[in-house]
Amino acid sequence: MKADAVRGHLDGLLLAVLEPGPLHGYAIITAVQRRSAGALELRTGTVYPALNRLERIGLLRSSWDSTGERKRRRYELTDAGRRALADERTAWQAFTAAIGSVLDPAPHPGHAG
Amino acid sequence: MSGTGRRPGPAGTYADEYAEALASALRGPARSRARLVAEIRDGLAETVAAYAAEGLPRELAVRRAVREFGTVAEVLPSCQRELTVAQVRHTARAVALAAPLLTVCWYLFLATGYGGQLPLATRLLAFPLAGFAAVAALLSAAALAATGPLARRLPTPHRLPRATAWAGTTAGVCLGVSALTLAASSPLSGNWPPVALAGALAAVLHTVVASSARACRDCARA
Repeated sequence: MKADAVRGHLDGLLLAVLEPGPLHGYAIITAVQRRSAGALELRTGTVYPALNRLERIGLLRSSWDSTGERKRRRYELTDAGRRALADERTAWQAFTAAIGSVLDPAPHPGHAG
Repeated sequence: MSGTGRRPGPAGTYADEYAEALASALRGPARSRARLVAEIRDGLAETVAAYAAEGLPRELAVRRAVREFGTVAEVLPSCQRELTVAQVRHTARAVALAAPLLTVCWYLFLATGYGGQLPLATRLLAFPLAGFAAVAALLSAAALAATGPLARRLPTPHRLPRATAWAGTTAGVCLGVSALTLAASSPLSGNWPPVALAGALAAVLHTVVASSARACRDCARA
């Protein structure tokens, strides 16, 4: 999937990979790539400003993690972030159901014969 | 680096060059900019190191990492957007704190007579200065709300950085004129020390707000 198509869903993707627990920036990027089996073309450099934005609007919070060789910023979902993720999922399911019913219509029983 | 045309070096060095090029192109509050650039630098270095660990030669690992990451030119707009909002919040906070102080000072001198009897010209000038400062403070409070949790539901207005810069400039001018007016009026007032002190405070706040408004204008143009 092209980067332009992914851009509109970046917030939902980032929130979703943080659902299991806190991660730092690079781990977030690899989690998105792993979950999509490399199918999503993501300009990974744009993930960092997106994380900053999600933190600014209160969907994520971050803290410094000093474990390992260097200090890294670790992000986690806030309660508002969990609610926003649930909303994203609902909206995405409604969207794919609507598009799917147009692209791949189920055979109508009345028109079968 | 494909973004700057530099020749790739080892992962860390290359990421440093990338970060340097990005930092020099970005405008915004120093601390926010440093944090964002440092995260990007580390992310790029880790991406290069991961490809190198898979057995790719260093130059190929760097090229592949930059293709995946985006060149400086590709990453710059989204970083600048976020830093512009950070600068808007920085300026809005400065105005929202400084402008009400000015209004309170003028209120104390005019309504309570705390500074003694101020000259008529000073009193006439005080009303528009305090009024404009109060309006700028209200606009700044709205800018803070629009770029905070409210941004989850409402899109951030396209002209907000420019509007905040103007609010900051207005507050800066009010503070500057107030500083001069209070300084000039203090020898003529009945109780000069509080008037002179308020003038000094207005001068300090003018410096802070005016420089933040200038940075906000730079970001709005970037």
